[in-house]
Amino acid sequence: MSDLLKSDVDLEAIIAQADEDEITLRPDEPSLPPGEWMRKNLFSTPFNSVLTIVFALGALWAYRAILNFIFSENTQWDAVRVNLRLMFTQAYPDENYTRVWVSLAIVAVLAGLSLGLSKVGRGLSLKKIATWCFGWGGLIVLGVLLREPSVKTDASGESVFADANGVELVRDDLGSLAYANGDPAPSQGLELIRESFGSAMGNRTGWWIIGLLLLAVGAAIWFGLGDFRRRNTFVPAIPFGLAGVGLLVSTTWWYGWGNYTFSEEGFTYEPGELVASSTRNPWTVVFLVLVGAYIVGRAIQRTERAGTVRAITNLSWLLAPFVTFWAVLRGPVLDWGYVASVDIPLYLLFAVGGGLILWMLTNPHIGEAGRIIAVVILAIAAFTWISAFFGWFGMLQKIRLSILFLGLAALLAPNFKGDAKQRMKLIYGWLGFITIFHVMVTLINTPSSIEVPTEDFAGGFMVSIYVSIFTMIFSFPLGVMLALARTSRLPLFRVMSTVYIESFRGVPLITMLFFFTVFVNLFLPEGMELSLFAAVVVAFVLFSAAYLAENVRGGLQAIRRGQYEASDALGLTTVQRTAFIVLPQGLRVSIPPLVGQVIATFKETSLLAIVGVFDFLRMARDVIPAQTEFLGVRKPGLLFICVVYFVGAYAMSKYSQRLEKQLGVGER
Amino acid sequence: MSINDATTAVNAELAGRDDIIVCDGVDKWYGDFQALKGVTATIKEREVVVVLGPSGSGKSTWIRCINRLEQHQGGRIIVDGVELTNDTRNIEKIRSEVGMVFQSFNLFPHLTVIDNITLAPIWVRKRPRGEAEQTARELLERVGIPEQADKFPGQLSGGQQQRVAIARALAMEPRIMLFDEPTSALDPEMIKEVLDVMKELANSGMTMMVVTHEMGFAREVADRIIFMESGEIVEVGTPEHFFTNPTEDRTKLFLSQIL
Amino acid sequence: MSDTAQQSLVAAASARPPFYRDAVVVKWLAQVVTLLLVLFALFFLASQAGDNLTAKGIKTGYDFLEVDPGINLTGTIDNEPDTGGRALWAGAVNTLRLSIGGIFIATLLGILVGVARLSSNWMVSKIASVFIEYMRNIPLLVHIILFFAILQSLDKFGDTEQVFNDDGSPALDAEGAEVFEAVQGPINGWLHVSNKGVSFPRVFPADGFYQWLVFILIGALIGNFVRKRRQAVQDSTGAETYPNGSMLGVIAVFGVIGWFLHPIFGWVGGIFGAIAELVDAIPPSLVQVVLTVLAVGFAINWIRRFLDSRRTPAGLAKLTDDDWFRMIFAGVGAMIAALFIWVIWPGGSSWLVNSGRDFFEVAADKFGDGRGSWTEDPPIDAMRPDIEQRGRFANPGPAGLNFSTGFAAVFFGIVLYTAAFIAEIVRGGILAVPKGQTEAAQAIGLRRSTMLRRVILPQAFRVSLPPLGNQYLNLTKNTSLAIAVGATDLVQVGQTIFNQSGKSLEVFSIWMLFYLACSLTISVVVNFFNVRLAIVER
Repeated sequence: MSDLLKSDVDLEAIIAQADEDEITLRPDEPSLPPGEWMRKNLFSTPFNSVLTIVFALGALWAYRAILNFIFSENTQWDAVRVNLRLMFTQAYPDENYTRVWVSLAIVAVLAGLSLGLSKVGRGLSLKKIATWCFGWGGLIVLGVLLREPSVKTDASGESVFADANGVELVRDDLGSLAYANGDPAPSQGLELIRESFGSAMGNRTGWWIIGLLLLAVGAAIWFGLGDFRRRNTFVPAIPFGLAGVGLLVSTTWWYGWGNYTFSEEGFTYEPGELVASSTRNPWTVVFLVLVGAYIVGRAIQRTERAGTVRAITNLSWLLAPFVTFWAVLRGPVLDWGYVASVDIPLYLLFAVGGGLILWMLTNPHIGEAGRIIAVVILAIAAFTWISAFFGWFGMLQKIRLSILFLGLAALLAPNFKGDAKQRMKLIYGWLGFITIFHVMVTLINTPSSIEVPTEDFAGGFMVSIYVSIFTMIFSFPLGVMLALARTSRLPLFRVMSTVYIESFRGVPLITMLFFFTVFVNLFLPEGMELSLFAAVVVAFVLFSAAYLAENVRGGLQAIRRGQYEASDALGLTTVQRTAFIVLPQGLRVSIPPLVGQVIATFKETSLLAIVGVFDFLRMARDVIPAQTEFLGVRKPGLLFICVVYFVGAYAMSKYSQRLEKQLGVGER
Repeated sequence: MSINDATTAVNAELAGRDDIIVCDGVDKWYGDFQALKGVTATIKEREVVVVLGPSGSGKSTWIRCINRLEQHQGGRIIVDGVELTNDTRNIEKIRSEVGMVFQSFNLFPHLTVIDNITLAPIWVRKRPRGEAEQTARELLERVGIPEQADKFPGQLSGGQQQRVAIARALAMEPRIMLFDEPTSALDPEMIKEVLDVMKELANSGMTMMVVTHEMGFAREVADRIIFMESGEIVEVGTPEHFFTNPTEDRTKLFLSQIL
Repeated sequence: MSDTAQQSLVAAASARPPFYRDAVVVKWLAQVVTLLLVLFALFFLASQAGDNLTAKGIKTGYDFLEVDPGINLTGTIDNEPDTGGRALWAGAVNTLRLSIGGIFIATLLGILVGVARLSSNWMVSKIASVFIEYMRNIPLLVHIILFFAILQSLDKFGDTEQVFNDDGSPALDAEGAEVFEAVQGPINGWLHVSNKGVSFPRVFPADGFYQWLVFILIGALIGNFVRKRRQAVQDSTGAETYPNGSMLGVIAVFGVIGWFLHPIFGWVGGIFGAIAELVDAIPPSLVQVVLTVLAVGFAINWIRRFLDSRRTPAGLAKLTDDDWFRMIFAGVGAMIAALFIWVIWPGGSSWLVNSGRDFFEVAADKFGDGRGSWTEDPPIDAMRPDIEQRGRFANPGPAGLNFSTGFAAVFFGIVLYTAAFIAEIVRGGILAVPKGQTEAAQAIGLRRSTMLRRVILPQAFRVSLPPLGNQYLNLTKNTSLAIAVGATDLVQVGQTIFNQSGKSLEVFSIWMLFYLACSLTISVVVNFFNVRLAIVER
């Protein structure tokens, strides 16, 4: 079906290119003087002038309305400020918070290393920085001028009212409103009094300073450099970004981000208790770790070992979600006796035994026997699963899975025969994989000492992040497999994959989420049950894999037939051809749409709110408005969520555009 | 000299050598269209055969059948004593013994030149990487571009790419090399460098089957010329016979158009 | 064939390889084994589901479609449905309303924003890009819930406000009571925006509408004739004759005349009435047979023509997976149609339009059954939204076209969200037209407007069509988010039903069928245009 809607033209790429042109072409031409620039871009024809004026007035009006809302005394930003912790980690127990900080520190180390090891791009041009300063400075100054004056307050901080005729009212001893001469105020037609324009401007000194400072910096760069060529000097972007993060972290030292505790009786607002006092130290440490890792990364980048460290870092990124997930949510209560008597022997059996089998299978002289052994192992694996369905031969689930993995590895192994060095690499891969797998399974199967209030998982933004990351990691292999099957020459594989892809793409995600959270337990055997978190991850993975498969298919179809013919003519097997020729080329072309899919998944995690997960959005929509201090206050929380999603999605889409450009340059 | 005389002469010259490719009544259809109509030919060891013919005559299809990039539907093909059937082991064996060079080079764009060349020796021939790289550098020396080893194919000129493709095929130490219009996608000034490599290869005693439009190359290097039209072999003979004294009318017409 | 060659042939005598080395056998074996494993897993899951349902004492089956679901809906075609099927249908109609209305408005808005984004005017282009980035980078659900929150925080519906005299004292009526008057919506009350939703005026076809439509039809026929004539003149003389404009002009003239003269067509209703009586006389089984034969015949004919179109001189071209899909769907569609006609025909049409009358009876009624008089209503009329007191609460009355708060939030959410994506597609489409096309058009001296109309836009449209189709699919699927704000649609009704009856799998299957049908319809429509627009290439 979706075939009908395929086109060869990649509009995203064209747009990215156009945006890139817009950014890169400009520095090379001398900038126009402001007057000429305006004449060219805003008032070129009478019609254009009218358009400019109409749109500018509209934009000013909208800007003023937004500012008025943001700074209105009726907008309770406190609802966000004091609930920040709730929105990010729900009611994660205080005594375990160290785990969150350690996880953040791990991520900071990896991020710092990756940034440090990344090849240095061109960075930011001074001209861009100046424009940026002008833009934000101008917006701030404009905002200061546009915003309506705040409500006038009296000495005790209460708002001042006036009657319908504008006569100011005062508060009597009891705090109720009255005329200055003591007459009681009318019940109808009262209005808030706002400050005069002059005193409003006077009260906004802080904003004035920031706005004018930015304008001044912009002007200093712009005019200080004079010649337009020197404005194209580039400064490295990453330190600037780090400085920005540092600025944000430093706010914990002087701004009171509030706290809402989650106690036995429910939520309690503790206005005096500031999160800043409890989090500024960890945040500062995390930031310093980030900077430190960046400096280390920079240092390594100059040495010859950069490539190795980069590879290790990338691998760690893949493992980090799992490690932090367990670090945050699992305090495993291990039964060491059981571990020593069952888990470790099993692990050693599969690690050593599997390693030996694979070593044998990759012997170049093994001949047909290799395939027969592989098929036998696969048959055993299939049998263990079938018997599981019928309840024969009870065994640990991880044994079944390990046999299955070993069977798959054995099936692929004959394609990777070679000299001892090649074979050892394969064995190392197997050992690494089986180690991670066994450790993870052992950790899952133990009870956790960490108690979170809702079901089995803490909520808030954390859940959205974990769902998106796990979806990404698990749906990728599935999607690639589906794409390979869909482009396969074998008709049954093609049909099966097409049916899967089209059924998942044809229905809305929300129905799939309902299916997996409500109906799926009907399909499972007695005693097996999917937890809510597992159910949503499974739903997201299966759904996202269908879309991912279509993106990858686009990349696979871009590979020319000659590539297949050349690899066939060289005698590569199908598996070798796929691993060495088809996937490296196909995935490279698919990277931009794959990032697009990641963004889409990130945005789709908002649907968790509908199926009963206490995510980020649910906090703003249901939880905060139910707190006694903030009854019915929704908009501030929702706007905050908008900002968080916007920052995440926008950053990723910009990154994807850059990536696309890099790939384009690397097109060889 | 009739066609039979010519063939007899050639056969006499080659009589002492073993057959390396034997095609017997090979048929190939695309849907209703018959691309090969009972092609029967024998190629001897160390022989250089040039296949000529107008486009669409089935030359490319034929040599692609020989390493089973295309499957023939009738007749038999025997390469180095092994018959091409559905047997996967035979296909593997023949693919590693028959090298092929394509019109559009078909180098792997994501691998460097050296990786392009060593890929198959390492994973198909199971050579250790060091040894394979050593061989690859020697082959690059032989095709005249040792300095390009660490570049990507996209950074090379067409002629250089085609020479890398030849080195890639040679790295498998094939007994037979197939060339499918190796110079058609090249600019005129690059054709010579590729043809020089091919001549050197022919002189070294490689069995070669070449589909080309380079008449000069055919005249100079070929032991035999096979002329095909609409899926049939029309005429077989030595270059001298073919260019100076063709017997068939269709051959004469073709030569008159092309020369 | 020389002797040595013969010897080689004999030496290499082909023995059949063992099956595990036969490429063909191995390929099929792998496929069949995988398929069997998948089928086994599905079968196992299905039998497990059966066991579990029996264990819980839940009976499966679609009988809930025909019993009273005991639910009330809001803002649908039938708020008190008497069967489960009817309730789902009411939800589905809402989904369709959202999708179809959304597609039209989002396309218009998207094109507008996309063109604005490309404008040479810095201000216009910047504002458009801020809109696009804002909409695209925030999840649709967040947009919808935010809109919902904003709508809910608006003034109360039906609020009253005290009237004051010029000097600020409260106005008093004759009896000395303070005067209050209802807060009116903007544009003199033609629009109501409040925490109960958005009410537009209801524009509806009044009694004269169908007679007027006859005028428009005649206008269209004559207009088409005029268009062809003028086109011919333009083709032969080269003079600009504005063929399309003339056609629209003719239709407009007929529309204006018809506005006043439409009652003269009242007699058309009589004809329909006569036909209706004639149809009633035909036995239903005959109708069933004829319609079934037509449906199946149509499908067979379509498949035959489709195969013909794939036939090349060298025989039948290889059919792609999609070709097979299309043919299978055509066959299945015909079968379902036939089944529908055969089984549900007697009650089916009334079930869908809830009138119990066939097309001709409806038409006879619409045309007024011969009641033509010069004082009839205008063809189209409009009603101002009104306020209705229901108990203690003021609610939108039936006169307006009412979007409930949730419905409005979903509608504006999906429209604005999709419009941002469409804008990027339009922009990409225009950018995708190679620069050489513009240069070539300028070189042959085309004016800017002609160049846009004849060269740039057609090519841009061709490129944008497939991704546009994908956006329409997404929009349709996104209407399911209505459940988050309590607006009624298929998913919401389905969820209510399975919460009450436990018929989870049945409801899920209906969802899947409905959405797959929607996807298929949209792909077929888009593909129809796609094929028509495709550049013929070698």
